[in-house]
Amino acid sequence: MNWRLFLLIAACIATIFAILVVGGFPAGQVLLDLLNGSVGSLKVFSKTLREMTPLLIAGTAVFVALRAGLFNIGVEGQFTMGAMGCAAVAIWIPNWFGVLCGALAGIILGALWAFPAAWIRAYRNGHEVITTIMLNNIAGFLTTALVVGPLKDPFRENATTAAIPIMFPNIFSTPTLGQNGKPDGTFEITIGLVVGITLATLLWFWLKRTVAGYELEAVGANPSAAEMAGIAVRRVTVKAMLSSGGIAGLAGALQVLVLEGRFYKDFSQGYGFDSLGVALLAGGNPLALIPSALAFGIIKKGASSITVMHSVPKGITLVILGLMIVVFAAIRYRKHMGRAVA
Amino acid sequence: MNEFITLLGGTLTLSAPLILAAMGGLVSERSGIINIALEGKMLIAAVAVWLIGAKTGNPYLGLAAGVGAASLFSLIHWLLTQKYAFDHIVSGMAVNALAFGGSNFLDKRYTDPSQVSFAKFDSWLYWIVAIGLPICLWLYLRRTRGGLRLMAVGNDPEKSRQMGVFPLRIRLVSLLATGVFCGVAGSLIVSNAGSFNDGMTSGKGFIALAALIVGGWRPIPALIACLLFGMLQQVQIQFQGEAIAGVMVPNWVWLSLPYFATIVALAGFLGRDRTPKGLGKP
Amino acid sequence: MEAGFAVTMEGITKRFGPVVALDEVTLKVRKGTIHALVGENGAGKTTLMKILYGAYPATEGQYQIFEETAKFKNSAEAIQTGIGMVSQHYSIIGELTCLENLMLGAESSWLIPQSASIQLAEKLAAQMGFEFDWGALASGLSPAGAQKLEILKLLWRNSQIMILDEPTAMLTPQDSDALYASLKTLVKQGATVIVVTHRLPEVIEHCDQVTVLRGGKLVANEPVDPGETDLPARLAELIVGRAIAFPELSKREPGERLLTAEKICVRGSRGEISVRAASFSLCAGEIVGLAGVDGSGQRELFAALYGTQPIVSGLVDFLGEQLASTTKERLRNGLKWIPEDRHRQALIEDWTLDDNAALGMHCAPPFAENGHINRAGRRQAASEIASLFATKFGALSDPIASLSGGNQQRFVNARTLFSKPRVILAFQPARGLDIDATRAFYAELSKAVEEGATALVVSFDLDELIQYTDRILVMSLGELYETGQSRNRTEIGKLMVGAA
Repeated sequence: MNWRLFLLIAACIATIFAILVVGGFPAGQVLLDLLNGSVGSLKVFSKTLREMTPLLIAGTAVFVALRAGLFNIGVEGQFTMGAMGCAAVAIWIPNWFGVLCGALAGIILGALWAFPAAWIRAYRNGHEVITTIMLNNIAGFLTTALVVGPLKDPFRENATTAAIPIMFPNIFSTPTLGQNGKPDGTFEITIGLVVGITLATLLWFWLKRTVAGYELEAVGANPSAAEMAGIAVRRVTVKAMLSSGGIAGLAGALQVLVLEGRFYKDFSQGYGFDSLGVALLAGGNPLALIPSALAFGIIKKGASSITVMHSVPKGITLVILGLMIVVFAAIRYRKHMGRAVA
Repeated sequence: MNEFITLLGGTLTLSAPLILAAMGGLVSERSGIINIALEGKMLIAAVAVWLIGAKTGNPYLGLAAGVGAASLFSLIHWLLTQKYAFDHIVSGMAVNALAFGGSNFLDKRYTDPSQVSFAKFDSWLYWIVAIGLPICLWLYLRRTRGGLRLMAVGNDPEKSRQMGVFPLRIRLVSLLATGVFCGVAGSLIVSNAGSFNDGMTSGKGFIALAALIVGGWRPIPALIACLLFGMLQQVQIQFQGEAIAGVMVPNWVWLSLPYFATIVALAGFLGRDRTPKGLGKP
Repeated sequence: MEAGFAVTMEGITKRFGPVVALDEVTLKVRKGTIHALVGENGAGKTTLMKILYGAYPATEGQYQIFEETAKFKNSAEAIQTGIGMVSQHYSIIGELTCLENLMLGAESSWLIPQSASIQLAEKLAAQMGFEFDWGALASGLSPAGAQKLEILKLLWRNSQIMILDEPTAMLTPQDSDALYASLKTLVKQGATVIVVTHRLPEVIEHCDQVTVLRGGKLVANEPVDPGETDLPARLAELIVGRAIAFPELSKREPGERLLTAEKICVRGSRGEISVRAASFSLCAGEIVGLAGVDGSGQRELFAALYGTQPIVSGLVDFLGEQLASTTKERLRNGLKWIPEDRHRQALIEDWTLDDNAALGMHCAPPFAENGHINRAGRRQAASEIASLFATKFGALSDPIASLSGGNQQRFVNARTLFSKPRVILAFQPARGLDIDATRAFYAELSKAVEEGATALVVSFDLDELIQYTDRILVMSLGELYETGQSRNRTEIGKLMVGAA
């Protein structure tokens, strides 16, 4: 292993320890409880899977764009718009049709929210990162305005929509037993998780086995060679970005349809950032999105449980995630370091 | 008349941190580093000023701590982008995450529950710096050796290297300058607010980036864009719920205007493309 | 000529990994002379100069500048010692003004004195008889203007030793002559000039001494005697290492017309017209060479035929119909190409040989059917492609970046021939290939045209075209000339430089 990479990883781990030790927390115990609180029992693992689901789907969204050479920082906004659109539709239709319409609305709004970035990138040569950052902010203002205004449930204090009439039921659910042998919760597998795993698998198949997937990866790997090979680079760019937005929108919609049952202010809890990490960690293989999202789910769930158990401020989660991104990026990009300049 | 003075004062208050951060963005982007971490750098500076300003009771030390914290994060940013050759976007996001998480951690863990205020400077001092800085930077870029080399590196690092200019060094200096400017900006934000809140920069770093882009990466136009964006916010606060020029503009549209303007600018509808050519290149 | 040596390099060896780029090379350059460094592409000329300029460290060997031992860690140190280099592609930054480019890296002080700088710049320009609008952006300069600015940059830095890498590659003949006139002025004033080139007429006409490199080794170092009549032939032999034998004219008879271009105009990257009303036709059964100095419009002509650049005016007829508008359709109809830049245009370096084999033909059998990739077919095709020119590789599932440049080129050439094209557009297909591999490529190309295809080949090596093609077109400053079946090197050479 390259010594610089080693130094970086060591520095990241040392930083986490140092923050905890200097902050006066029992570092070893805290990190142990981070694992205990996320994979320690079936009950908490069920929560970890819940945490993992939006990360997996949104991570898939980032991944699609990344394979086409695009950084979709806009997942945050597309996710939020998708969730809002889904709730706005689904609350009015009290049957299964409403659930489907909600999911569809989520996909459409997500894709719509990615469109300006896609178009500007493909036809006006403007950086998609900057446009998506701007669109994220607009999405935040817009959805907030809607949820304190026309979409607000008049019977509630908070800025939230009414609950949707029908949610997706769990696919599998069983009570979990606590230490005293009595039921203390449930272990659930939601339809969201199944959708996520299916999407990642389909994406793998699509990228590796179809001409369209081949073209998308060619555009991401070398746009000028792709152009010379007769691939319509701009069209592929737009399609990739719209698919990415649509998947991000679907992630938001499923969050409403499966887990939350409504849309509220500040709906996304930093999913845009986390999903980028998930996609980076997965590298070039869509199937790797599944363990990658699980790893992020473990950290997120575990970190939230240590903030309760040890009253470590919740900022620690982001610090750990930030350092994880640094480490993953270092591992993924190591071949670019110290390459002979000849 | 009174309304006008309120508008002017409010505009200056709201624009000053934008200007400082935009100038921070300007020096790093002009040297070729895509900087989406302005937000994080201001935030970490704000918490440092809040904590050290209260602990020492000395505004100078408080400001120094803020500048130091933001510069430290800039140094990390430099290491990641230049020494480790990370993607600039990934590095920027990592720096932001560390700053958001770190500032929350520091605030929650180290703030004395009885603390209500901290040692700070008057706002007008910051205003002078904020208006003066773009002019100084404009002169610096056009009239000095350092400025010329900075622009050269940002436009074509490879050719600059051939001319005996070291991109890594220039970018280190640029990023440290970004740290200093963002440090001052963060210090101003926390001084205006009077106390630290989680995520209190509330997108100012991105508005500053927006102003920088709308201003075509040039100091004076970026200054004007910041003033304009600051005024938009002030108008929104001042005339909330009132019709402006006979039109009732929804709040969220008003708040989103800077972002809309940036998207339009990036689509190439506001003059020619002025993006530094070496942005993101090793 | 009793002045001392400006540069003495002894026993210079440079390795890039296992590749030996330079092997114990010695170079001695006298003060106040124009010294030519010649050799084929890849002979090690540029590498040697980059070592002298501090851009690379030498693996072994030492060098003295003005008889003092030096060891540069970077270019800045070389510049300090009085060495200046103008690289082939210039180091002028378009977004800065001419004055800023002039000063960059050698500003007189921390604060730039605007008027004093302009005065000095004017003085230097006057000294050389040049004129510049100092406040204008450098992106507006013509190639000749850029070259002039590069020379002023050397003067600004008080360079005593000036290295020019292929200085005339992008220049018209008139501009080239003007350049050498300026260089002679500089030499009279005491400067030392090293010119890296592969154009012998320049060497013979303008240089005092010539050093020849071949395959990273020194093969000759002698004064230039313009009176020696067979000097060009002798130097040419030293460069390529054998007497160039021109083969018999081909006996192929051209068949039906496959592609006809009528008065097409194409714009270059700066929006200028780079191809002026070019008309030509390619017939089945012939290989047509396209000769010309680099930058005469060949690139733009090819881009227009690929479909990556629009044709401003004129018509192209392909197999009796108007040429399709998209790149994809052109490829499907049997127009195939070997692009110039392997890394950027022809291959995806991170991808496997397998994946790269399909590039450009990925929609059709044997690579895919109905939108689905046929993995077995693709593997079979990839192995056929790799074996055509005996590409050396580890496994078909290795990234193509693991192949050497020459092997990548073999793969690209073979891929194009594999697709059974009707018209082949090849831009420098022999780049990075040794003589045997070049011969093998042209043999396969001949086979393809004899089976009814046609080919248009660009090469900057005129001898390659004379040797292997049936007919040569010449491009000069965007204009296309027919030479018929002429094999007269001088005649074609004159057309290339616009002297005919």
